[in-house]
Amino acid sequence: MNYAMVLDYQNCINCKACEVACKEQNNVQLGADKQRIWVGQTDNVIFGNLFVNFYPSQCNHCLDAPCVEVCPTQASHFVDGGLVMVDQKKCILCKGCMEACPYDARFVDDERVAVDKCTFCYDTRISKGEETTACQATCPTKVRMFGDLDDENGDVVQLLKKRKFFVLKAKEGTVPKLFYLVPENDEEYALQSIGHNNKIYTWDEMSPIIKAAKAKRSKQWKKS
Amino acid sequence: MNVEISRRRFLQGSVALSILGGISLSSDKLFSQESENGLSGEKNIEDVPFLCAMCVNKCAGFARVEDGVVKKLNPNPYFPKSRNMLCPRGNAGIHTLYDPDRLKYPLVRIGERGDGKYKRVSWEEAYDAILHGTDKFKGILQILDEEKDNRSTIGYCNGEGLSKEGFEDLMGQKIGTPNYVDEISICLETTLAGYFNTIGAYGEADLNNCDYLIIAGANRAEAIITPDTMDMFKRNRGRGLKMIAIDPRYTNTVANADRWYAINPGTDLAFVLALTYVVLKEDLYDKDFVAKHAVGFEDYKKHILSHNYTPQWAEKITGIPADEIYKTAVEFMRAISPIYYQGRRSVFAKNDFQLRRAMAIFQGLSGNLDKKGGIIYGKKLKLPKEDINAPMYGQAQERFDVSSVAIPSGKTGSWILFRNMVLEGTNPYPVRAMFMRKHNPMSGVPNTTKTEQFLRKMDLNVMIDILPSDTTMFCDVILPEASYLERTSPVASFGFLEPAIVQRKAAVKPLYETKTPEVIYKELAEKLTKPLWKNTLKYDEDVQDDTKGMNAKDLEKYYKENGFDLTDLYEKTVEESNKERVVKAFGEEAWKILEEKGVYYPNMKTYYKKINANTSEYYPDDKKFYTTKKDKLKVIMNFKNLAKKGVDPMPKWHDDWAFEVPEGQFRLVTGRHAQFTQSGTTNNIMLRDLIRTNYLWINRDVAKKRGIEFGDMLEVKSSVGKINIKAFPTDRIGEKQIFLLHGFGGTSKEMEFAYGHGANDARIIEDKVEPVYGGAVMHETNVEVRKV
Repeated sequence: MNYAMVLDYQNCINCKACEVACKEQNNVQLGADKQRIWVGQTDNVIFGNLFVNFYPSQCNHCLDAPCVEVCPTQASHFVDGGLVMVDQKKCILCKGCMEACPYDARFVDDERVAVDKCTFCYDTRISKGEETTACQATCPTKVRMFGDLDDENGDVVQLLKKRKFFVLKAKEGTVPKLFYLVPENDEEYALQSIGHNNKIYTWDEMSPIIKAAKAKRSKQWKKS
Repeated sequence: MNVEISRRRFLQGSVALSILGGISLSSDKLFSQESENGLSGEKNIEDVPFLCAMCVNKCAGFARVEDGVVKKLNPNPYFPKSRNMLCPRGNAGIHTLYDPDRLKYPLVRIGERGDGKYKRVSWEEAYDAILHGTDKFKGILQILDEEKDNRSTIGYCNGEGLSKEGFEDLMGQKIGTPNYVDEISICLETTLAGYFNTIGAYGEADLNNCDYLIIAGANRAEAIITPDTMDMFKRNRGRGLKMIAIDPRYTNTVANADRWYAINPGTDLAFVLALTYVVLKEDLYDKDFVAKHAVGFEDYKKHILSHNYTPQWAEKITGIPADEIYKTAVEFMRAISPIYYQGRRSVFAKNDFQLRRAMAIFQGLSGNLDKKGGIIYGKKLKLPKEDINAPMYGQAQERFDVSSVAIPSGKTGSWILFRNMVLEGTNPYPVRAMFMRKHNPMSGVPNTTKTEQFLRKMDLNVMIDILPSDTTMFCDVILPEASYLERTSPVASFGFLEPAIVQRKAAVKPLYETKTPEVIYKELAEKLTKPLWKNTLKYDEDVQDDTKGMNAKDLEKYYKENGFDLTDLYEKTVEESNKERVVKAFGEEAWKILEEKGVYYPNMKTYYKKINANTSEYYPDDKKFYTTKKDKLKVIMNFKNLAKKGVDPMPKWHDDWAFEVPEGQFRLVTGRHAQFTQSGTTNNIMLRDLIRTNYLWINRDVAKKRGIEFGDMLEVKSSVGKINIKAFPTDRIGEKQIFLLHGFGGTSKEMEFAYGHGANDARIIEDKVEPVYGGAVMHETNVEVRKV
C-alpha cells in the first residue's frame, strides 16, 4: 500500500465543500488558520486580462517527509500505506515540523494542544472500510481520486499513466503524493496555472522516484 | 478574504445564553471524540437517507447517526440529480440542526414588536394565542369577526421547500385566503414564465453533451445547482464544452470560462437581440427546425431586422464590442449542440420577461431543443395526488396586488406590490394578519424599511421557523419547527433526463419542543377549525342559506362534507401517506428501495452502475429521456395574445432601459456565494468559518482614486436606505458597479453568530417591480458610496 491523491484541479470551483466535509469528518478545530485542507487561489492580471486559478491542497504525505525527520519526540511518524501521521499525545508543540513542511500543511490545534494536519481520513474512514476520503466523496466536480500507488490497475495509477501531471515544489525533494493533472487541451489554462519552474511528469518518470523513496523510508512505516 | 476576529473569540461568544435559548447546546462538545472512548462499548450506527434543505436545490445524502446524534452527512450516490455530492452548505447541515440559537419552544410576545421580549409557552398556549390573542395583540378569531369572515384579511407567505405545499393547502385551500406571497416574485418568476410562454417549459440544459454554452447572469460555480454545476465544470476549458460568460462581475464561473464579456447591468436583452440579428441576417438558423416548430418566425425576422438590432447598436448599450457579438453569434450557430443557458435567480431588470423570451427564441433558432445536448423536456415520474376538499367562503374577497400587472399568476402574487399596497392603504379591504413560514422578507424583499412598517401594521404575525430571523423578531406567536434532519417530508419527484423519486427521512427525532411542519399544520387546524366555522356561520350568507333550519347532526355533516373541517387534510401522517402513494404508483418493492436508498426509479436495480469511487451511471444512455416533446414542440416567436395585455408580443428594446449611472454614483449588483444560501444559513458556524461577513466589491482603480483601502468602512446610500459595509477593492468589477453578497447584515440579536456581520442589501435595493408579473427588480438601484 502506498496511498496518494490525484487532483484534476481544473475542475475546482473553490466552493469549499471539501473543507467543510473534512472539518465535519475529522473534528478539525474551527478558525481561519486551522485548515487540514484548503483551496489556494491566485488572482492575476496579465496583459490586462484577469485570471484566477484554484489549487485544492492538503498534506502531501511526502514519502521522504522532512516533518518526520525533524520531530524530536517521534510524534510525527510514518505508518503503513506511506502516510504521515501525528501522534498527538507525543507532540510537545515545538513546531519544528511546521517549519520543515514545505507546504504549510500543519497547524496547531489549540484544543488538543498538538499539531494537526490531514490524515487522508485514514483514521476516520479508510481504516473503517471506506474507499474515499471525505474531501473526495463530497466534491461536486470530483476533483480528487484517492488510491494506492502500488496498485497498477487501480484508478490512481491508471489516471497517472494516462495523463501528465506535476507535484508542488518538486525541488524540495520530499517526494510528495498529491499529483496535479495537467490540463489536457487548454494550453492557455495550463500556462496560466502551472509555474514555469514546475517539472511535468509522466508515470514512467515518476514511478522510479516513488519506488526509490519508498525503499528508503518504508522500514520506518509503523503498523497502524 | 481576510478574517479579522479569531475563531476562538468567536466561539467564546457563543457560550453566552441567548434570550430565546435556555439550553445552549455546544456543538464543540457534541462532536468531540471523547464519546468514542466512552464506556458504552458498542455504538448504534445508522445511515439515514435525507434530502438536503440548506438551499432549494435538494441534493440527496445519508446522515451518519451514532447513538442518536448526527455525526456526518455524506453524499448519496444513488440520486441522478445530485450525483454523489454535497456542497459546503450540505456538509454543514449538522450545524443548522445543532445551532445553539435555534427556536426551541413556542414563544408569545410580551414586549413591543421588535424588542425581542418573549415568553416561553406550551404549544397549546401558543395555538390559543393565535386564536384568541393576548393583552398585547389580537387573535385571528377577533380579526375575522371584525372583518365579517373575510378570510382574505389574512396574508401568508412561505419559502421554498418540501413542506410548503402543506402550508399552502392549509392557508389557501382550507382557511381560504388568496393573499399568498412567496419567494417566486423575488426570484425566478419571469425566467420560468419567459421560457414557459416561449418553448413550453423551462427545461433542463443537457450540459453533459452540450458543446457551446453562453452563460449570462448565472453563476453556477457559486450558485450551485445540480446537476448543472457538476457537469459544467468537468467539461469546460478545452474538454468539450466551450463556455462564454456574460456578467458585470468576474465570478468564479467567469474564472472557468473560455471568454468573458463584462456587460453593463440590465442590458442582456440588447445582447441577445443583436445575436439574433446576426443569425437572421446571415441565415444561420436551423431552417428545418424553424419550419416545423416556430410560430411567427417571419414576423419575428422582420421585427428584428427592421429594428436594426445590429452588433454595433448593441455595443453602445451593452459595452460588448460589436465584433465579439458577431463572433459569438456565428460560433453559437455553428456549434453542434449550443445552449444559451436559461439561468435562474432574480429579475435583474424591468425587461426580464422579454429577455427570457428572447433567450428562448434564440435557442429555438439553433434547433437545439428536445434532443441530446440541448435543452431537454424529459420526463417526470408521477405520484398520485391526494384530493383536497376545499370549502367556499362567501365573504372572502379576491386578491388585489396583481391588478396592476399584465399577467397575474394565479397562486402567488407580488411581494412588493402586496406589501406596498397594504402600506399605502390602496388595498380594497384590510389585511390584518400575516401567517409566515420559513421566509424572511426583512432580508429577501427589497426595501427593508417598508417590510418592517408592513409587519408593524399587522394585528397578528405568526411565524413557523427554525431560527429567530429578523422577520421572526416582528412576530407575535413563534412556532418552532423541526429542521430537515429531524423530519420525514412528503415524497418528491424530480424529472427531466433521468427522473427519480426521492424521500427525506428523519435522521433524529425533533429536538427540544420543536415539531415537524405537518404536525404543526394539523394541530393548528384542530385548534382553529370549530371557532372559525362558527364565524363563517355567523357571517357567510351562502352558508346560512344552505344550513337554514339544520339540526346539529346535519350541520356537522354539512361542515364535513363541504370541507369546512380543516382537519380532514391530516388523517394520515406524512410517513403513511408517502408509503401509500409510492406503493400505489410503483409497488412494494419500490417502497423498500426508497426506504433504504432514499431514491427510487423504475429499473434502478438493472440501470444503476457504479463506475468508480466518484462516478455512477443512473440510466443507460439509450434510456435517458432526451427527446419527449417531438411534434408537440412549439417555439412561440410572435406571441400575439401578449399584445392584448399591453406586453410586447415580440422582444423589443426600449430606450429607457439603457444603463445609466449619474456621475459619482454606482449601480448596485448583488449575488450569491457557494457558502451561503441567502439569510437562512448565516448563523451556521461551520459556514461562518469560511466566510464571516460580506464586503463591498469596488473597482480597484476607483477605490484608489477615492482613497479607499481594504477593510475601510463605507456608507452605501440609495433613495430607500443606507448601510455600512467594509471595502474590498478588486479588479473583478467594473468602474460603474459595486457588488455585495446577499444575506448578511441581519438585525436579530438572537442569531448570535450572524449578528453584527456585514450589511443587508435589501435595505438599499429600491422596491421596483417589473410590469409583466410584478417581480422584484434587483439591479436597477444606483447608490452613493463614501468612506465613514
